[in-house]
Amino acid sequence: MMHSPISRRTVLHGLGAAVALPWLEAMGPMTAWATQSPAQGVRAPNRMAFLYVPNGKHMAEWTPTSEGANYTLPNILQPLNDVKEYVNVLTGLTADKARPNGDGAGDHARAMGAFLTGAQPRKTDGSDIRAGVSVDQVAASRLADQTRLASLEIGADPSAMAGNCDSGYSCVYSSTISWRSATTPVPKLNDPRLIFDRLFGAGADADRARHEANRRSILDFVREDVATLSPRLSGNDQRRLDEYLSSIRDIEQRIERARRLPEPRRPDMARPTAIPAVHQEHLRLLCDLMVLAFQADVTRVCTFVLANEGSNRPYPFISVPEGHHDLSHHANDARKLAKISLINRFHVSQYAYLLGRLKDTREGDGNLLDHCMIAYGSGNSDGNRHNHDDLPILLAGRGGASIRSGRHVRYNRDTPLNNLWLSMLDRMGSSVDVLGDSTGRLANLA
Amino acid sequence: MRSRAFLLLGIFVAVLVLGAFALRPAAQAQVPALGTAQFDKSIQPFLAKHCVECHGPTKKKADLVLHVYKDVASLVKNRKVWNGVTQMVHAGEMPPQGRPRPDIKDTEAFLKAIAAIYEEHDRTAPPDPGRVTMRRLNKTEYNNTIRDLVGVDFDPSEDFPADDVGYGFDNIGDVLTLSPVLMERYLAAAEAITTRAVLVGDLPKPNTRTTAARFLEPAIKKIDEKMRSRGLFEKDKTISSAYVLTQDGEFKARVKGFAQQPTNEPVRFEILVNGKPVKEFTVKGTDGKSSQSHEVKIELKKGANRVAARLLNAKEPDTEAKDPKDAKDGKDVKEAPKRHGLMVENIQLEGPLDTRPLSHRRIMAHKEGATNREAAQEIIARFATKAYRRPVTNGEVERLMKVYDAAESRKERWDAGVQLMLQAVLVSPKFLFRIELDHRPDSKDAHPIDDYQLASRLSYFLWNTMPDDELFALAAKQQLHPNLEAQTRRMLKDSRAKSLVDNFATQWLQLRLLANHTPDKKLFPEFGEDLKRSMLKETQLFLGAILDEDRSILEIIDSKFTFLNERLAKHYGIADTNGNGFNQKPAAKPGQPIRGKEFVKVNFADSTRGGVLTQASILTITSNPTRTAPVKRGRWVLEQILGTPPPPPPPDVPELDGGKEQLKGTLRERMEQHRKNPSCAGCHARMDPIGFAFENFDAVGKYRSKDGDSPIDPTGELPGGQKFQGPQELKEILLGKKELFSRCLAEKMLTYATGRGMEYYDKRALDQIVAALPKNDFRLSALVVEITKSDPFRLRRGKESNP
Repeated sequence: MMHSPISRRTVLHGLGAAVALPWLEAMGPMTAWATQSPAQGVRAPNRMAFLYVPNGKHMAEWTPTSEGANYTLPNILQPLNDVKEYVNVLTGLTADKARPNGDGAGDHARAMGAFLTGAQPRKTDGSDIRAGVSVDQVAASRLADQTRLASLEIGADPSAMAGNCDSGYSCVYSSTISWRSATTPVPKLNDPRLIFDRLFGAGADADRARHEANRRSILDFVREDVATLSPRLSGNDQRRLDEYLSSIRDIEQRIERARRLPEPRRPDMARPTAIPAVHQEHLRLLCDLMVLAFQADVTRVCTFVLANEGSNRPYPFISVPEGHHDLSHHANDARKLAKISLINRFHVSQYAYLLGRLKDTREGDGNLLDHCMIAYGSGNSDGNRHNHDDLPILLAGRGGASIRSGRHVRYNRDTPLNNLWLSMLDRMGSSVDVLGDSTGRLANLA
Repeated sequence: MRSRAFLLLGIFVAVLVLGAFALRPAAQAQVPALGTAQFDKSIQPFLAKHCVECHGPTKKKADLVLHVYKDVASLVKNRKVWNGVTQMVHAGEMPPQGRPRPDIKDTEAFLKAIAAIYEEHDRTAPPDPGRVTMRRLNKTEYNNTIRDLVGVDFDPSEDFPADDVGYGFDNIGDVLTLSPVLMERYLAAAEAITTRAVLVGDLPKPNTRTTAARFLEPAIKKIDEKMRSRGLFEKDKTISSAYVLTQDGEFKARVKGFAQQPTNEPVRFEILVNGKPVKEFTVKGTDGKSSQSHEVKIELKKGANRVAARLLNAKEPDTEAKDPKDAKDGKDVKEAPKRHGLMVENIQLEGPLDTRPLSHRRIMAHKEGATNREAAQEIIARFATKAYRRPVTNGEVERLMKVYDAAESRKERWDAGVQLMLQAVLVSPKFLFRIELDHRPDSKDAHPIDDYQLASRLSYFLWNTMPDDELFALAAKQQLHPNLEAQTRRMLKDSRAKSLVDNFATQWLQLRLLANHTPDKKLFPEFGEDLKRSMLKETQLFLGAILDEDRSILEIIDSKFTFLNERLAKHYGIADTNGNGFNQKPAAKPGQPIRGKEFVKVNFADSTRGGVLTQASILTITSNPTRTAPVKRGRWVLEQILGTPPPPPPPDVPELDGGKEQLKGTLRERMEQHRKNPSCAGCHARMDPIGFAFENFDAVGKYRSKDGDSPIDPTGELPGGQKFQGPQELKEILLGKKELFSRCLAEKMLTYATGRGMEYYDKRALDQIVAALPKNDFRLSALVVEITKSDPFRLRRGKESNP
């Protein structure tokens, strides 16, 4: 059923040879719909992804001045030039639950905790952490039986951070955007090797049937073993145990799906070995892996945190040796704002790279980006003011011809960001009525 | 209980004590009668005048209603709400801008009244040791536990996602969540660990090392590749070979050769091991046509061992022999005339004969003559008992045996079935979590945890690993509680106690930030991985010395010694082990020059670099990548050393250079202008001066006398009016705040020890811990002992009254 691989030349042409990573070269079509069109009765499914960037934006150089299709890309968004017709700039959306609402300081932690959940993160440094279910996990739980992995959570920074992260909020909040339940944050993977293994397996397993039988019997055991514990535990202990059981279930389902679904085609590439020392390469590798995951249909849902909220990473390779967070308190200093713009633009260029790769991956009678919805943004608007209205949000891809892209759309003040998430869930075939603080579907996308 | 700002801040004393106490209602406590008058006088009118209009029956802003609080009892019941209220009022955020400001006296009285009510309540409330959420082993604990449980030393948690951090530490039960990704890793790790630890199926053959004739000792001058054997002809002459062994065990020593027997007397020789005869052999001549192996089984220790052959009988050489010297010199003797003696072809050492790894022998040991199933049961009961860190129950063993039986029914080998059970244990929540099942789960009274639970609390607190045999033995006899102090002191002397430095102290001092800290390469070209590693190592060695030598915790603030290698000494401008600088008149008598990568102890004449505050590691992590950040340094001292963190900045305040008018001048001058803003002044008056004391150290901790062109001014004045010049005088002031520092350290350590954040009801325990320190010269051991003896560490209460 697989067709002959696209020639190496074609791929390189598509990528622009300069950016092709050595291990990411020619590869054949990885799914049925890659080469067949709707006319042949095979329709590609939609995929969704959420990219997070911290510390807000220099909004004056982010927001286009005119609305509609014929707007000019502002400074920060210029890297999107080649994919402009696939991108919508959505202005005016708000994450109300990132606001203090009586909880005082902690805008970084809340910005990230509320971003995909629309829920007010509970102010605690440890006990009783709580936000809400995030949009990606809603889709993941509903699409779980379709792909080998329900979802993929990746990021450039490790989940754990040292010290006090933000004003009495646990570090969990400023390092996590995916929440499986209101009390279970999903840690992200950073190491391309581990991500690759998770997507495609660590290698051939000659003894797979035996291995599976063994795993099953172990999982049966622990389930029974846990049952004897439950009655004797209470409160937070029980919550830990529920997480444990839910993880066990998740693994059982994966085993079951792996048996039912066709083996994913292993990409024709060397397995990455570690986290690249050069930051840009790390980010690109993560982008590449996301493209692969979608291309091979290993999963249809992904979150990607380019940097943890409040990150103070310096970007010396683009002439910004100062820390990002230090700079974001720019006090309207033109020099600092210029540097913020440089960082913002650098991040957008990673997004542009990802979109370019998706667009250059043929699928059906179009490309992969036609069947994607790739959201990008921050839960902070201006890093200096820590405001959470008028958020910098982009949405790329056409969601299977359900999104009219290439526009700048301005929404009424205080339109919940979660309305956008609700509309994206619709397009994944996993509609819900309410998510967090949503008030309805987002207008003017189609 | 994070804030004790009052000593520095002065004014809202009790408020901050309350403000930082989180957060649980304690409904069972008595309502203080005292508070009623204060409530009616200072609280009720303030609420009515300033709060209820927005937070009352009509508007309910931020879902907060305050009109319902009509007496002291209602206030005490909702501590969390009132904690928030006092914080907002104290910070001046409430009432909001645009509303009438309350009179400062009213605000003060309002906050003091609330604080007094809670203080009174806490004083009279029954003791509450708190409740610890069951803790998942974090990555470090997992690795160490596997090392001690299974006996394989590698890094099985390498691929686990990083553990989340709460209250500054990565061992907090409430944030150690378990995701499906991690669960998968646990399964994979369990497979990898048991595959290494236990061999399934046919055992590999023992290793044999053969020393050919030409390499035997005494060595021959010129090695002849063709030499087949060497002769022993004189009585008591030996020929031997040495073997360096990496482990003890049973071996076979073997001498392969044949006898030359010109007469009818056979050749006799013996095998010596390490000079001692172990077996005698009599060999009949065979003319070299068929040599034989002569072997003996022996127990050997690891290290160098020598196997030798010694001739026991000799005959005078045959007078007709042409050239007997040939034989003597060990040349090929085929052509030589026969002479009585042993011709040695090689010496062999085979072993260890038991090729199972040590871990296998320990784990798989079982009674002889047991059936496979009985053996499996014995093995798993012993293993699960250690892994669960308490005696395993019959029911638990039965459930584990189902895994074995299922494997058997799938026609797996018995040892594969056992291996599978081991895996099951390693992914059981009873192993992965430290579960403290309560024999009185519904009792709200404080009661002791059981001895096994105490053993685990001790071992994970002090060692980051499971209890050792001694702790288990005491727990089995229910003798751990009575021997708590002795055991704590024993454990502190063990090398594993170094985890208090590597895991507790590095997190307390936030040293883990160093790993990802990247100073600007252009401004600080000298900063690189080597210097970074050396910085961290210095602080670890320094704290390690305080631990090993049981020094005073006050030396953490100031001391007369540290540890430096050449790289760091150069960075500090220190030339020798007596702390003398380069190219300057020695203040102390010259010491040894500091050379190479190894760290050496350096004693200071003054305390410029004494204590952690002026170590490069701390100075670097409290700086921005491009410049020093006095505010960060000041805040770090307030938070990590004094335990009096400033409140977070009010929203919408620029960090520096703020306002419409551009600020000018040195960093210090700009900050002083910034401090003119009244909403910033209060806290920055506490943070900034402390930070300025360290301005002589740049953003990577190097000493400097100028910042750009401006000379450094390291003077400052604290809000109480205490003036100082430079870090040495500041350290003296900090040393005067022994109470604050010991309490801060005690809070951090108790947080780490119990795996939960501090609550208002922990104040009593902390008071006791802190009070015990001066009598014991502030020794680190005294602090640790007091913590292990404290109620929160030893006791628990049952289900939460109000989950």
